[in-house]
Amino acid sequence: MKELLTPKKLIFRVVSALLVLVAVMLVCSLIGTESISLKAVFNGPGTQTANPDYQIFVEFRLPRIILACLVGAALACSGVVFQALLRNPLADPYILGISSGAGLGAIIAVICGFNWTVWGRSPIAVFAFAGALGTVWLVWFIGRMAGRFHVTGLLLAGVVVNAFFSAVIMFLTSIAKSQQVYSTIFWLMGNMTEEDFLVLWIGSGCVIGGIIALFYISPQLNALSFGEEDARSMGVNIAGTQIIAFAIAAAITAVAVSLSGLIGFVGLLVPHAVRLVFGPDHRQLLPLSGIVGAIFLVIADTLARIIIAPAQLPVGVVTAILGGPFFLVLLVKYSRKVSWLK
Amino acid sequence: MNKWWWLLLIITCWTAAGLAIFDRRQTQDCGDTPLATRADRIVSLAPNLTEILFALGLEKEIVRVTLDSDYPPAAAKKPKAGTFWQPNIEAIIATRPNLIVTLAFEQQKNLAERLKRINYNCLTVNIEKVNDLFEAIETIGEATGNKLEANELVTNIRDNLDKLSALVGTEDKVRVLWVVQREPLRVAGHNTFINEMLELAGGENAIGPTLHKYPPIGAEQVIVCGADVIIEPSMQQKDLKEQQKNANQYWNKFENLPAVANERVYVIPGDTVSRLGPRLYEGTETIARCLRPELFEN
Amino acid sequence: MSAIIEVKNLSFGYTPQNTILKDISFEIKAGTFLAIAGPNGAGKSTLLNLLCGALKPKSGTIKIDAAPIESYKSEALAGKVAVVRQEFVPVFGFSVIETVLMARTPYFGTFGFENKTDKQIVTEALEATDTAQFALRPLGSLSGGERQRVFIARALAANSPVLLLDEPTSFLDLKHQVGIYDLLKNAQLEKGKTIVAITHDINMAAQYCDEILLLGANSSYHIGQAKDVFSPEQIEKVFGVRTFVGSLGREKFFIPLGKFAKDSGQITDKHI
Repeated sequence: MKELLTPKKLIFRVVSALLVLVAVMLVCSLIGTESISLKAVFNGPGTQTANPDYQIFVEFRLPRIILACLVGAALACSGVVFQALLRNPLADPYILGISSGAGLGAIIAVICGFNWTVWGRSPIAVFAFAGALGTVWLVWFIGRMAGRFHVTGLLLAGVVVNAFFSAVIMFLTSIAKSQQVYSTIFWLMGNMTEEDFLVLWIGSGCVIGGIIALFYISPQLNALSFGEEDARSMGVNIAGTQIIAFAIAAAITAVAVSLSGLIGFVGLLVPHAVRLVFGPDHRQLLPLSGIVGAIFLVIADTLARIIIAPAQLPVGVVTAILGGPFFLVLLVKYSRKVSWLK
Repeated sequence: MNKWWWLLLIITCWTAAGLAIFDRRQTQDCGDTPLATRADRIVSLAPNLTEILFALGLEKEIVRVTLDSDYPPAAAKKPKAGTFWQPNIEAIIATRPNLIVTLAFEQQKNLAERLKRINYNCLTVNIEKVNDLFEAIETIGEATGNKLEANELVTNIRDNLDKLSALVGTEDKVRVLWVVQREPLRVAGHNTFINEMLELAGGENAIGPTLHKYPPIGAEQVIVCGADVIIEPSMQQKDLKEQQKNANQYWNKFENLPAVANERVYVIPGDTVSRLGPRLYEGTETIARCLRPELFEN
Repeated sequence: MSAIIEVKNLSFGYTPQNTILKDISFEIKAGTFLAIAGPNGAGKSTLLNLLCGALKPKSGTIKIDAAPIESYKSEALAGKVAVVRQEFVPVFGFSVIETVLMARTPYFGTFGFENKTDKQIVTEALEATDTAQFALRPLGSLSGGERQRVFIARALAANSPVLLLDEPTSFLDLKHQVGIYDLLKNAQLEKGKTIVAITHDINMAAQYCDEILLLGANSSYHIGQAKDVFSPEQIEKVFGVRTFVGSLGREKFFIPLGKFAKDSGQITDKHI
């Protein structure tokens, strides 16, 4: 947008986007392999055999859509942050090893065949979460050896760790039993399963809290886009901002990945699309990317559910197919505004 | 209080609220609840389970099957509920079943847990070995109130198998290489029901014990395994002659193998031998005909 | 006038073995325009980075406004010292006014938005640097000179008493070189700012600056007025180039004499 951002404009845009999100959620929750009617849903649960519409809606569609919102918002916002921190428009949430770390955690859980559950959740999610965070810490540690908060060092460390862990994943996959292999690949391609409400509640608390925290440091992220030295002379506490941004973005990505596997393209494309239309100011980019990411993933998941019904596509496939052309259209339309395309 | 502390406070309250509201919902593992009424709306989530249900005479009670449940032919006409790997929960719930039969595989276990949590009657059986099959038939028979039919079915299969064992005897075991996939080469190992079928049919596995159930093996191991017979189950039912020709061509390069030298490479229809179900005897007999054709001349 | 920057016995090296700056001491009084000149590698940019807190000295002290530089938190330091570095285009297309507004980041409200005072300061800075007409254009669409003016506007918007600039005119044409020096001199005279600029252009330095800090190799340095520091002997010693020093009224000018300088034979030692 050409004009300067004001609080009023920001609030207006965020609220409008939220309304769109709610509308999309409602529409998509009524779409599926079985047609259900909203009226029937409102009739309430009844006894369990009396109202399958309600059950399908509340137990399966709604949790899945809420999860899609959560994961979409988390990935998009963390994409924004990593692009700002690394000053690189090609950064995505997985660039610093989160994807391979989570994948490694997941496949270890699958191979060891753990049967215990945490709060009724399979151990895969827990291991994936631990793997993701552990890898991020590892990359941060290695990157710091390249000199304080050197961006290139971080990127290289991320590439190395990703490559190494991917190799380990391939090795483990090759010696795993076929059923486990299927489970792993399925997980790696990204999928939405119906989670129980406690997990969704706590997960949404973490993700939304993380996004708000990132919003708090948006002006600092703006300044960081100009480089660390410039940001320092604008009064930004470089170390503090980088650590907070990095930690929160990594945490919400780890939450997203542990719940839904690896869903690509959301973290890379949504920040770009929103930036193309609304400009690079992070105070606006962050919340709007989160909401647009949620909308995008809800739609993608709905398509994944119905395109080849009764089977389901992995969501990652749909995001890739949707995301590419969609982004191309935006790019052509708004390319004048992007300075680095001159 | 500055904005960071407010944020922390809100998140903590949110989490506590969530724990208070939702915590009681899980940890209820309903297990397999015995049925109050007879199961007359049954969903089967695996092809061999479908076969068992049909064999128990429950054709009319079955309301949904998976996409790959193609035997008997009547099963293929039943409404679908997704595939074995990805059952479609919505379709299952929409038919309001009072019994859902699943296998103990990982994906299906999660599904079963979820369904049990919302009070659906879910029966999980594990069918990995021949004995498992017999147990499963009995369990399903009990759950559906068809104990008699179940007993009969099991006895039937057992008798036939015993007769076959008597026929082939315990000597002159034929060394068999059971090829599941050609590229890359994967064979059935010792810890599989296929191995059990082989032994019932008078054969023994040409490959030694392995870590995997269906290990990939290299050409070297093929050469030294000394198989008398190579069996390739075919996943497609048509063009068996064509597939046999292809197989012969492929295996000709292992000319030192007795199986190839004696032209004993067999491509057989796959569904009776790749699925551990009520047609266990048919499958085993087919194998026996490949291993000891002379016994079946008459 | 008090000294707003005090440097005592400053030493610094990027590696333990070599030291670029050894035992340097000098004072910059408030409201002066100081030029830092010297050959490449003498440590000019290093000194600038030390003065703005980006680097930490190995030994010695730096005091900004009578307080040691370590005692300042980053926001407070930004309020005292603003830096303009070599011009730079970020990957993300911020507009001119957004860029200049970022200087006010330490003063934003709770949720990170600027208030009226900030906006006014920014408008003034844009007008002082004659960049108001580009306010809404993305930074990348401007020319090098225009961008440099925007970064100076950003430094002005920080409203700090000290302005540090690293070769602010190195890529600019004549008109913009003069324009920027005029702007800086204005800021000094009208607003009382202290300007410290690294420059390779000794003519401009002599014309505009009150004092010159000449950094030579091996940490030799001289600080003083242009007429004292830029003597032909000093220039030849520090830069290794014979220079003709002339005067036009009160303006001094310097012409370096290379191998192919015309009529250099005519110039005798009397002139140089």
